[in-house]
Amino acid sequence: MEKRLTLWAAAAALAVIGLLPLLTMVTNSLVVNGVFSLQAYQALWESGSEQLALMGNSILLSLYVTLLATIMGVPLGILLGKTDLPLRRSLTALLTVPLLIPPYVIAVAWFALIGSGGWMSSVAPEASKHLATAFFGLYGCTGVLFTAFMPIVILLTIAYVGAVNPRLEDAGRLVSGWGGVLRHITLPSIAPAILFAAILVFLLTLGEVGVPTYLRYRVYPVETLTQFAAFYDFSAATAAAIPLLAITLALLALEYPILRNRTSELRTVMFGGRAHIKLGRWRFPLLALVLAWTAVTVALPLAVLIAQSWSASAYADAFARAGGSILRSLVFAAVGASLLMLVGFFGGYLIHNRTLPVWRGVDALTLFLFTLPGTVVGIGLISLWNTPMSNFIYSTPAIIILGYLAQYAVLPTRMTSAILDRVPRSLEQAAQLSGATWFMTLRQVVVPLARRGLIAVWIIAYVFCLRDLGVSMVVYPPGSDTLPVRILTLMANGAPSLIAALCVILIAVTLLPLGAVALWSGRTNP
Amino acid sequence: MIELRAVSKNYNGRRVIDSVSLRMERSERVVLFGPSGCGKSTVLQLIAGLTLPDLGEILIDNELVARAHKNLREPEERGIGMVFQDLALWPHMTVAENIEFGLRAKRFPHKQRAQRVSEMVDLVRLGDYLNARPAELSGGQQQRVALARALALTPRILLMDEPLSTLDDELNRQLRQEILRLHDDLGFTLVYVTHSRDEARELGSRTIFLKQGRLDGEQS
Repeated sequence: MEKRLTLWAAAAALAVIGLLPLLTMVTNSLVVNGVFSLQAYQALWESGSEQLALMGNSILLSLYVTLLATIMGVPLGILLGKTDLPLRRSLTALLTVPLLIPPYVIAVAWFALIGSGGWMSSVAPEASKHLATAFFGLYGCTGVLFTAFMPIVILLTIAYVGAVNPRLEDAGRLVSGWGGVLRHITLPSIAPAILFAAILVFLLTLGEVGVPTYLRYRVYPVETLTQFAAFYDFSAATAAAIPLLAITLALLALEYPILRNRTSELRTVMFGGRAHIKLGRWRFPLLALVLAWTAVTVALPLAVLIAQSWSASAYADAFARAGGSILRSLVFAAVGASLLMLVGFFGGYLIHNRTLPVWRGVDALTLFLFTLPGTVVGIGLISLWNTPMSNFIYSTPAIIILGYLAQYAVLPTRMTSAILDRVPRSLEQAAQLSGATWFMTLRQVVVPLARRGLIAVWIIAYVFCLRDLGVSMVVYPPGSDTLPVRILTLMANGAPSLIAALCVILIAVTLLPLGAVALWSGRTNP
Repeated sequence: MIELRAVSKNYNGRRVIDSVSLRMERSERVVLFGPSGCGKSTVLQLIAGLTLPDLGEILIDNELVARAHKNLREPEERGIGMVFQDLALWPHMTVAENIEFGLRAKRFPHKQRAQRVSEMVDLVRLGDYLNARPAELSGGQQQRVALARALALTPRILLMDEPLSTLDDELNRQLRQEILRLHDDLGFTLVYVTHSRDEARELGSRTIFLKQGRLDGEQS
């Protein structure tokens, strides 16, 4: 009984945190002065050609980014996850870094490299001028977001090539080389995962506001935000958010049934040994290629960013002007990650064990919220909580935390579900037969066995809360801005060295717990 | 006494147990025998309450403990010990902690717990391994820990789900003798699942045959 009650409570909490704001937002957009009205939609319709052009820009950008990320990410994922390439773990970690920081930080880093006054302008001024011009607009946005989101494709490819039944590949190897096996067995087996990764990249790009704002490329979500932030036309902002909501819902609805069935097929065999492709004489040339790619897309921009910020005065200025935001970001991210871990644990348990009939709904809802633009989630939260009775949430950092919970719940739920796959069901059943209550079983059997995974859940949740811009930018109460929001605000008139220093601080506080855990696991896992 | 009355169970739309009715008497040694996938383990899960019947009723000592889609007695209230096919030893706990877990769950006083653990390790001859973790033990020793853990709460019924299937012949023979000895000493009802004819012959006072989820005869 305690188990069902707790899981119902977790499912209800996720519905209140994530679904209710969206329903309120949609309802509010249809009501003007207490009566049903399509006024906001009419206004949206009347500015149709303008809105259509913006949506066209958004979709074009998303398509470019998705295409590039998939074309590059899948081969890299196979190289890193399926072959005997040297240094593949370190390279995977390095290539993942862009996903862990707000994408606009990458844009700032690239601008420090190729922009006017950047490192390249002193080496090759003419080329730098052309590159800087092209950087602002579609091409720059595509390049930056492609770097930022490609790790999603790489990581999912690595995870799923590891889940392909090695026996299937062995059977193929008896009649074909690895090329044929990859083409005819491995890739078709992981095709749903690749499709899922592509859809994730598409939707995350569609909802991105930081990079297009910085690179002055007009896209639809920025327009939604402008309606809200500049004109404070809440009704127009809500109506403008609906098309984004509809696109997200439609894409996920198309993809969800295919993926759900296929991934469970993979999951049943995921603990078999992994067959590695021997690269032979290609091992070191391919390593050189991947190293060069990593250096250009990850190491070089970050190094330039560090170089640009390299002065005590820049850091002193950064702490003076954004000290409060840094502290707030750390506290909010830590609180958000802890709550996400808690709610996500029970959500993940529910999804893994399918204890309640609503498990599929919880799974779909969290994924939907993750892919929804942060600005839409933010507007939904304001729709729900901006009332005199709930002012204690609306006007305090609680609304930022709720935003984190809504937007990122999919990470801990999916991760917990995957972690629980590795804890045999019989261990829990044995505890149950021994007379243990469900909480005792969780406390003494499940959690200790899943401890390492749960620490990883906390860290991932922390990283995503810390890098959040979309939700925070919309909902933060006065005096409660976070570091990513502060950086974006200061970009308008802050010195490049100050912005670079703030970006470096943001990267450092994001990667710090990852480094600490890497050290810890290195010590406990000799 | 265990009784199943016209019990059926489906998984993913496929009927794995089809209207099975059977009765096992107190202290009896019953072997459920049949090929892989015939539903033997599902019968054990149903008796233990770890899965719910879709149709039919389950009684233990004349008390209705489950009916369609509902447990009337939760697994921990049925007085059942179980040795799982994969043994399900908690890898982060020592031998003593594995055995003691159920006693702690039932809030036995510390002194009584210690005494019971000591009795159990003596019973399965594992006195020297109290502080070892499962990974440090051999297959046969792990088997004994699983037995001791299942018996720590003196269950009325002991369910064993192909527990010896991974062991070599010699060890398998030794442990069969040990199970018979424990049964004689403690008098529980034993329900033993296997697809090995040797195990069925030696351990069962009665063997029930299952085929494609249905009863396919029995032999005493």
